[in-house]
Amino acid sequence: MSVLRTAALLLLAATPLAAQRPATGTVTGTVRDSGGGAIAGAQVRRLPDGAVTLTDSDGRYRLEQVPAGSVTVHVARIGFYPQQLVVLVPAGDSVRADFRLQANPMFLPSVVVTAAKRSQLLDQAATSVALVGEQQIARRAVNTIDEAVDKAPGVQMIAGQVNVRGSSGFVEGLGSRVLLLVDGVPANQGDRGGINWDVVPVDQVARVEVVKGAGSALYGSSAFGGVVNLITRELPLGFHARLRATGGVFADPPHDVWTFRDYRGIQDGLDVAGSYGRGSVRAGLSGGARHSDGYRQQDRADHWQITARGDWRPAPATLVGFSGAWASDQYQVPEPWCVRPGQCADRGQAFQPFLIDAKDNAGNWTRSDKGYFTAQVSRTPSERNSWLVRASWLRTHFIDRYPQRQPPSDFSIANRIGAEGRLVSRPDSLHTVTVGLELTRSDDESNIFSGASILGTTHTHTEGAYAAYAEAEQVVGRLRFTVGARSDFLTVDGGGVTAFLSPRAGAVWPTASGSWRASVGRAYRTPSLAERFVTTYALGFRVIPNPALRSEDGWSAEAGRMWIASPWLRGDAAVFFTRARDLIEPVFIKDSGFIQFQNVQRAQLLGLDLSVAATPLTRRLTTTLAYQLLDARDLGSDSVLLYRPRHLLTVSADYAWRSFEGGADLRVSSAFERDPLFGDRQVPGRVLDLRAGWTEGPWAVHAKVANVLNYIYNLGPRILEPVRTATVTLTFSY
Amino acid sequence: MLMLLGCDEGLTPRQTPTTCPPGFVGICGTVTFRGALPDSTDAVYVVAYARFPTSQADLFLFQPLPPPSLPLDSVATSGTQHYLLPLPSGSYAWVLAAWKKVGPISAANADSLLREAGYFRDPADTTRPGTVVVAGSGTDAIDFVVDFTNMHPVSYYFP
Repeated sequence: MSVLRTAALLLLAATPLAAQRPATGTVTGTVRDSGGGAIAGAQVRRLPDGAVTLTDSDGRYRLEQVPAGSVTVHVARIGFYPQQLVVLVPAGDSVRADFRLQANPMFLPSVVVTAAKRSQLLDQAATSVALVGEQQIARRAVNTIDEAVDKAPGVQMIAGQVNVRGSSGFVEGLGSRVLLLVDGVPANQGDRGGINWDVVPVDQVARVEVVKGAGSALYGSSAFGGVVNLITRELPLGFHARLRATGGVFADPPHDVWTFRDYRGIQDGLDVAGSYGRGSVRAGLSGGARHSDGYRQQDRADHWQITARGDWRPAPATLVGFSGAWASDQYQVPEPWCVRPGQCADRGQAFQPFLIDAKDNAGNWTRSDKGYFTAQVSRTPSERNSWLVRASWLRTHFIDRYPQRQPPSDFSIANRIGAEGRLVSRPDSLHTVTVGLELTRSDDESNIFSGASILGTTHTHTEGAYAAYAEAEQVVGRLRFTVGARSDFLTVDGGGVTAFLSPRAGAVWPTASGSWRASVGRAYRTPSLAERFVTTYALGFRVIPNPALRSEDGWSAEAGRMWIASPWLRGDAAVFFTRARDLIEPVFIKDSGFIQFQNVQRAQLLGLDLSVAATPLTRRLTTTLAYQLLDARDLGSDSVLLYRPRHLLTVSADYAWRSFEGGADLRVSSAFERDPLFGDRQVPGRVLDLRAGWTEGPWAVHAKVANVLNYIYNLGPRILEPVRTATVTLTFSY
Repeated sequence: MLMLLGCDEGLTPRQTPTTCPPGFVGICGTVTFRGALPDSTDAVYVVAYARFPTSQADLFLFQPLPPPSLPLDSVATSGTQHYLLPLPSGSYAWVLAAWKKVGPISAANADSLLREAGYFRDPADTTRPGTVVVAGSGTDAIDFVVDFTNMHPVSYYFP
């Protein structure tokens, strides 16, 4: 009995001892990206409701007091797809779980600065914004930034002219309906109002924000259809260098009868950049050059550029910055293609798209120089207020040589000088107010935009634009309301003042799975000095100036939804509507035989803009789809608005494995309805690009074959999609 | 994706036509050249008027815009040239070749820079212009002679 009692007492005494034995363990490991780089600040969580920790600067983490047994560990970091692993945690011991996260380009960055002229989260913007990140730019191995922007949802480049939701069509480079910003500073040309995409080297661009729809309420003229903001790289501390070398070859045309040269066309380029930062001062310098033989007859091009930038932080909340760039291009002019026997080696063909019409175009070439300088002071004295002032100067100078024509050259020297002051105030967490003043003065000395009755005469014209704007955002419950307006005053050659008021209102309603948004605003565009004063000789007819041109005017509205269906499926959809009047078009005046730009067109654009990103099979495979349905109508003639494809589809897939990545882009666009200028057959656009990349430490190699199928179609009137082009880019970053 | 890529082969070579191609709307034919091409030639256009022009103000009521010009090397080589003239459906009272002298053109100098160099004639009465009808397709065999030795200012035909 005593033995039994003793055994029972021992058993009772042992029971709590067994319960106090360690029933938890530790999980340790690292979080790295696909290239092996440490990811700091990644959130490591034990699911479903367990402890959370962050990775250190080496990407290491440690989760303690984890219950023994099967445990799910979840890792998340902005800019990467989340990942989770099930690990078996031994009691009183530790287990290691390492993670490799795949970058998620759709969500980098999640903060945008263009839609409201201030920093805001992407899902709080009342208008649609498309982002092109640094990784997308790098992997596409492009030479100019427009090649990367071309694949953004709802955006299409037509022969170098950007179309946001079908805003511009094809307008021969005059009067872009999209505003280009470089780090927030307007950079449309002072004379033509168009865009020089190569004013900033592609290697210096960190990301691109494309704001879709009317932006006149904050940005005034040119933002009729949207805004494209090129945001350049930050200058880091210490010494850094970067070298980017490119080389490529052009394929021959897809049909032997179109062959136009007996050698292999090439392109090559080299960019070198260096920067140094210490304490409160940072500075960077870059330079580069490239050459292309082109993919058509008379299509050679050479480009040189230099850029400089400096930042000084005299106080933690104050930034003084300057940046400048200069670029020079010399290129032959290959347009339009030849349809006339005798003017090219037609070989019995009705048209020779890779040969030029030699009668008017043999020997035509252009030299185009452009440069800008900006200086800016910004300060954030408190969490509630921030302000900036900036000044900018953009200069463009082109000379077109026409050996077959009189006068044998056209030239234009234009300056665009701007200044802006802006204050952003957040009196509390529910209110944000942005107010600003903006002044712009453009002048142009030219013999083609002279407005003179005698061809070749040089004259100077000026345009002044003075604006004030304000926008307020208020949070009411879950709703975020925005209302604002901009008032612009315009004067040309010191004449009378024309005023415009451009209001805009919007709302954002966040939900558990994304957000709804809606906005409506006025859009306007003042005619460029070129459209007002062009005087030349085209297609055998005199083109005469029209100083009385009025501004284009319209309203734009959209309603959209951003949704996060699951960690592997996210998307954005918007319906948009624009109604415009007084659109400026070249008109043939039958009783005089002259061509003149006039306010003639009323138009309506209605469409759907959709983008979806998914990881359907594996975390390593990312797929994105962007689709735009556009119904663009000329209300005057009740016909289709020209050079706007009804369907525009882009499908991309990217696969990453360790240091390697591969991908493809397919762009499909429906054929233009017709070509009133030449009556040529129109075919749909279908371009497939394949790409591959390898990154290891400071080295990266990206290869791309553009237009793999060598599919040829009309980008514009007698302007071709480039042939198949293979490009390799080598980048070294120190 | 493969279905999308396989739907169309894009722009493809096309032989110089001798008749109106399928889907073309307008007129087609052959011009036969006579005489030497003047040194001051800028271009020779083929145009059509829905109504016969009767005054200076009617001169620019032609179609299409811009007017297509004939290749001029065939003047000295083959002596003939096939042409296509895209036109909307309708009736056209005068289809002609207009010779243009070098120099910028305007309403003020049009009659001195332009010459009628030949026109399609009524098969039943070759002294008169022939009426051409375009009905949603290509109208073939609108043939005529371009005679550089017998050109007239357009005002020659005004009443």
